[in-house]
Amino acid sequence: MATFSKKISLISLLSLTLLMSLAVVGCSGSYPIDEDGLLVTDRAECYVSNFELLGTDHLTVRVEGELPAIDTAACTINIKTKFGTDLKHLYPQFSLVTDAKLEPKITGLTDFSDLERPRQYTVISGNRKVRKTYTIYVEVEHL
Amino acid sequence: MKSLSKKLPTLLLAFLLPLTSLTPLGCTEKDTEVALLRNDCLKRSVGPNVVGLDIEFAYAMATPYGAGRIVSACVEADVAGAPETWLEHRSYHTDRETGADVGVTVGNPSVNDGNRTTVEFTVDTCAATLRYYYRIPEEARGKSVTFTFSATSSAGETVSMKMGPYAISKMDIKKNISARRAARFLSIEDMAVYSAADAAKIPEKIDLVYLRPDGNSPYYNTIGPAFVSPAADPQYMPGVTLPAGATNDTKIRKEYGVHDRHLATLDGQNAVSSGVFIDDVDFETIKLDDMPDYALGLRQYSCLWVETHDGRYRAFIYISALNGDGVTSCTIHIKRLKMK
Repeated sequence: MATFSKKISLISLLSLTLLMSLAVVGCSGSYPIDEDGLLVTDRAECYVSNFELLGTDHLTVRVEGELPAIDTAACTINIKTKFGTDLKHLYPQFSLVTDAKLEPKITGLTDFSDLERPRQYTVISGNRKVRKTYTIYVEVEHL
Repeated sequence: MKSLSKKLPTLLLAFLLPLTSLTPLGCTEKDTEVALLRNDCLKRSVGPNVVGLDIEFAYAMATPYGAGRIVSACVEADVAGAPETWLEHRSYHTDRETGADVGVTVGNPSVNDGNRTTVEFTVDTCAATLRYYYRIPEEARGKSVTFTFSATSSAGETVSMKMGPYAISKMDIKKNISARRAARFLSIEDMAVYSAADAAKIPEKIDLVYLRPDGNSPYYNTIGPAFVSPAADPQYMPGVTLPAGATNDTKIRKEYGVHDRHLATLDGQNAVSSGVFIDDVDFETIKLDDMPDYALGLRQYSCLWVETHDGRYRAFIYISALNGDGVTSCTIHIKRLKMK
């Protein structure tokens, strides 16, 4: 009985040691986490891949068939919205390159009605070292 | 280990003895009488309880075979239901093969007497489940209603149970309103559409104008089906002559696909199964400040939150159908809450 107990203790100790060593190995290569709880990775790519404007009904307000013009060199987005679009209440929707994030965050309906001062959003790369500020130019369709 | 084995019977004995001595004290003769007639109830309808609609229950009652039969069932509401209130005189069960509800007549049709709705049984049965439909009356608006269900057996036993209280909504519902060119002027207060001639008599009540350019119109793609406030920029309602004095500036917020179950399942052909309900609290909390006074490019299942110019009413409009270019009508359903 005593021998059996001793064997159990030994196995437990070995298992624990193995688990701890695995944990150390697992953590050694992990990525740091930024202030938003997102992984900071090695990626330096920094661009907007797609953009959309949605109305309060969560449907696009973009003129049908006219895709937004995204210039990743000039960092501009030109989008044409339907006649009568309520520019004060829109949800901007960005698609970004992998691991990138956006600043400021989109938290709800956004006012795009001040066409003289177009809204700007900054894309931050996955490694958080590259920042590119995009300007969004909205044009409303006329009759 | 050995000593614990020895102690265990003693410990058990010490624990059980006081329990057995307490038992004769706890069980008096009265407590041993068990009611044979039992009942149970569940509320079948869900969502807000709106005046004009039903609250539905299933009331089950049973007594053991040989212990008599059920002679009557009764529901008493603390606010009398509308005359359409009734208690089923058929007991339903589910058909094993088809899954359909099958009704078996167990009594005479129910009788409403004030707050009470009663069914007298005419068959010898010891179990039944009756459905109760309480048509919510105008008097109950904004109040709460409680129901007492009861059943009586031939052995003289009576059982009862209370259900509720259930809050009754303050909102109104109007279904199947057909807006079209000939009747395009919508009043939220009246929850009705008017022709130009009729709207001219009540211009102060006109909150929205329905537009539907033809397929060959230059506005077909730009404006499309639309609801526009009379005070909106005229460019949003080309070709429309407003009644003199129609100046309401109605706030509108577009939504899509909010299939309120009360509204979306009403016109039959476009029934949409949904668990969504617009309730009083939604009207009270929706933000409509600064919203535009027009909604263009509507489609089937578009919805509109609307606040009248004077702020007296808020409404939720559900578009269930937009008919073809030749007809250009639109079927809408409205929920409305008086705000002040």
